[in-house]
Amino acid sequence: MSAAERVALGVQRTVGLASAVVWIPAVVGLMRFGLSWRLDGTAAARARYRELYAERRPLLVCANHLTMIDSALVAWALGSPLWYLRHFGALPWNTPERRNFASSPVQRLLVWLMKCVPIERGGERARVAQVLARVTHLLARGESVLVFPEGGRSRSGRVEIENATYGVGRLVQALPGCRVLCVYIRGAHQETFSDLPAHGDRFHVATAVLEPTSALRGLRGERDIARQIVGTLVALEERWLHARQ
Amino acid sequence: MSETQVFEKVVEILTPYAKNADAVAEVGLGTSILDDLQVNSARLVDVVLSFEDAFSIEIADEDVDKVNTVGDAVGLICKKLH
Repeated sequence: MSAAERVALGVQRTVGLASAVVWIPAVVGLMRFGLSWRLDGTAAARARYRELYAERRPLLVCANHLTMIDSALVAWALGSPLWYLRHFGALPWNTPERRNFASSPVQRLLVWLMKCVPIERGGERARVAQVLARVTHLLARGESVLVFPEGGRSRSGRVEIENATYGVGRLVQALPGCRVLCVYIRGAHQETFSDLPAHGDRFHVATAVLEPTSALRGLRGERDIARQIVGTLVALEERWLHARQ
Repeated sequence: MSETQVFEKVVEILTPYAKNADAVAEVGLGTSILDDLQVNSARLVDVVLSFEDAFSIEIADEDVDKVNTVGDAVGLICKKLH
């Protein structure tokens, strides 16, 4: 990654921090009061995340993906607005799909402020690799990054291990000792994928930590690690399904 | 193994992953794997691993990043083979 790109990320972080006092409460306020969403299980999730963040080692947050607003929900589940204002570095960077969130100048400005590095899913690997290089740089600096290892919203409504994207394995392989916090978040009324969760929905939040490793090298190792991560999300989902019955 | 043989094997490997059957029927060296054949990008690594198995070669991440067309894949494999 070039020095110019590193500086650009630093500027983005600084401006995001300077404006965070406006946009963090606004986003959480909209979710909590405007859309009347509630989260269950945040105390344990936040305590675990605080501990992990305090270690200042590379920390990748991997979540299941059902709605367009999942990244905001996951961030909210892992920390309160006040805590993020005090620890802005803990607010995970995010890699939204460029076509969904960065198609207009206003959207581009907002996602830029909100610690996003847009990615073109399904795009040329060289361009995807550039984004992964930025994300690797951020992780190496001790910042946390949120990714959705399924690549997109699950069309079946369940975590789909066969859709695991191996970029997540590439990130972990590039950063020895990288921990992964798997977050399973799901609204009680969320039967399948959608743009937004239902108004007034109540969300189940569960987490699991792993430090994936693989004896395999290269692409096979990436695949192995990606499957370990998505497999952990599958296990969290099965626990949720079992508890629901 | 000649370039033609490599090309034929590459197409054989790509075919089950391609969503666009019409593009497979007219595949050439300039055919884009993602855009024309409509191979799911998440499956591209599986395709490359199949290349590794079929040709008994090892392909690095950086090399995969440069593969956009069928011709790129054929060229890369031929380079590794010779």
